[in-house]
Amino acid sequence: MAGYIEGRNVSLTFRPPNRAPVRALGGFDIAVEEGEFLSIVGPSGCGKSTFLNVVLGLTKLDSGEVLMHGKPIGGPGSDRAMVFQEFGLLPWRTVQHNIELGLELKKVPAEKRRATAERLVVLVGLAGFEQHYPHELSGGMKQRVGLARALATDPDVLLMDEPFAALDAQTRDLMQAELLRIWREARKTVLFVTHQIDEAIYLSDRVVVMSKRPGRAKKIFAIGLPRPREYEMRVTPQFNDLKLEIWNTLKDEIVA
Amino acid sequence: MAETQTLDARVAALGGAGAAPRRSLWRRIEPAAWGAGSFVVLLLVWQFVPYFVPLKPGTRLFFTVPSRVAATLWQMIVSGSLWAPLGVSATAFATGLAIAIVVGLPLGILIGRSSLLNAMFDPFITAFNATPRLVFLPLLMLWLGIGLWSKVAIVFIGALFPLLINTYEGVRAADKLLINVVRSFGANEWDIARLVVVPNALPFIVVGLRLAIGRAVLGVVVSEFFGSQEGLGVVMVRAASGFQVDVVFAGLIVFAGLSLLMTGLVKLLEDRMTRWRPGHVNAQ
Repeated sequence: MAGYIEGRNVSLTFRPPNRAPVRALGGFDIAVEEGEFLSIVGPSGCGKSTFLNVVLGLTKLDSGEVLMHGKPIGGPGSDRAMVFQEFGLLPWRTVQHNIELGLELKKVPAEKRRATAERLVVLVGLAGFEQHYPHELSGGMKQRVGLARALATDPDVLLMDEPFAALDAQTRDLMQAELLRIWREARKTVLFVTHQIDEAIYLSDRVVVMSKRPGRAKKIFAIGLPRPREYEMRVTPQFNDLKLEIWNTLKDEIVA
Repeated sequence: MAETQTLDARVAALGGAGAAPRRSLWRRIEPAAWGAGSFVVLLLVWQFVPYFVPLKPGTRLFFTVPSRVAATLWQMIVSGSLWAPLGVSATAFATGLAIAIVVGLPLGILIGRSSLLNAMFDPFITAFNATPRLVFLPLLMLWLGIGLWSKVAIVFIGALFPLLINTYEGVRAADKLLINVVRSFGANEWDIARLVVVPNALPFIVVGLRLAIGRAVLGVVVSEFFGSQEGLGVVMVRAASGFQVDVVFAGLIVFAGLSLLMTGLVKLLEDRMTRWRPGHVNAQ
């Protein structure tokens, strides 16, 4: 079955100068459905972030292909947007102007940009902070800005590269619930990379476990939990069974 | 009298709350007050040296006191004899610095972003920067004469390198993550420079500008000392050979004032441009 985003036999080797080449991805296959929330978990260095960068259009692959709507991805496009682990906010821009960044590069008129930013500031729960600079915000608030910025260009696909990894545990729980709420409203296809099995299960429709480097898809888990997801679901036997199963698949790949 | 009353009324209006802000005001100006105080003490000591130290007639010829310098400077201002030479020096300073900015900033950005241009320009920049630029003065005078343009040229090559090198360093320090962020939204090289590289390099550029101002003033002074017919430096050299120590000091004060003024303007510019920063960050 052809997916909405499809990776076929994706292989990629990094060749840093004066170092041994690193095979990041070695025949990675994936098919993401439209509107799906799909998470990728895997050991450090397995190429999961690299794959997101390929889908984003910033990294070129060596062989295989990545298709979106059946067409190969040639570079960045406004149908995809990334939420970065370290936020990546421009420190000299206010919240509002950070959110407007993508629209500005698309040459959207100022009036329309502001209207979009105003709407998204409310959606991500930052009303009243429009004129604040990033250094005046907490980590969670910064990532809300990162999310609003990614949503501003109204992409079909949201790529999230360990977006909550830099946050403390409580803020992370809160942001996961917030993300689900926003996802319900904005209806995007989400490709979510994380190290956290809990997070992956709680958020996703399916979870892909990757092998160690060079990364391949080792096993795909369908998460049958009903939506909307509730925090309480994290302590159900069904959740814990899934967690154990995913952990057992993952642990052989982890080289400590 | 009327003014005093208004001030008193205003102080009274502030009431009891007046005391606290006044104390915090003192805390803010305290370092500046101590600095000014020690400067005044230095001037007073200098002023009264002749009363305590017997100077031989020969030595007295090379000596002056602050009050005489001040009187001479005032005289030069009101008689107008200051303005023409100052205008000549300021023109050379401003023209040379402006060309250095117009050339140095874009070039620094380009060689910071392109490894090819970097490789091409690096030998020249390294060699020029290692050479004291004033050694070019005789050549420049030969080629450009002893008028405005040899001065402009020496100011230009003096001011160019601090600007160029600091801009380059600032551009190289650009955050790779932020470049990837704007690239992911479809930015081209121009957008990357405009949105990330230049704002990120601004603190470096300001440091470069401050250094460049110092070099530019130095360029004007030295070229006027050694080969020129007009300008404040020329006035100083002529005064020195005529033992008019007061005039030499007056020229020195004007040059120092010019440097301070320009540096102050840069500081103002810096404060305006870096409002987004958590505190003041020193680039170097």
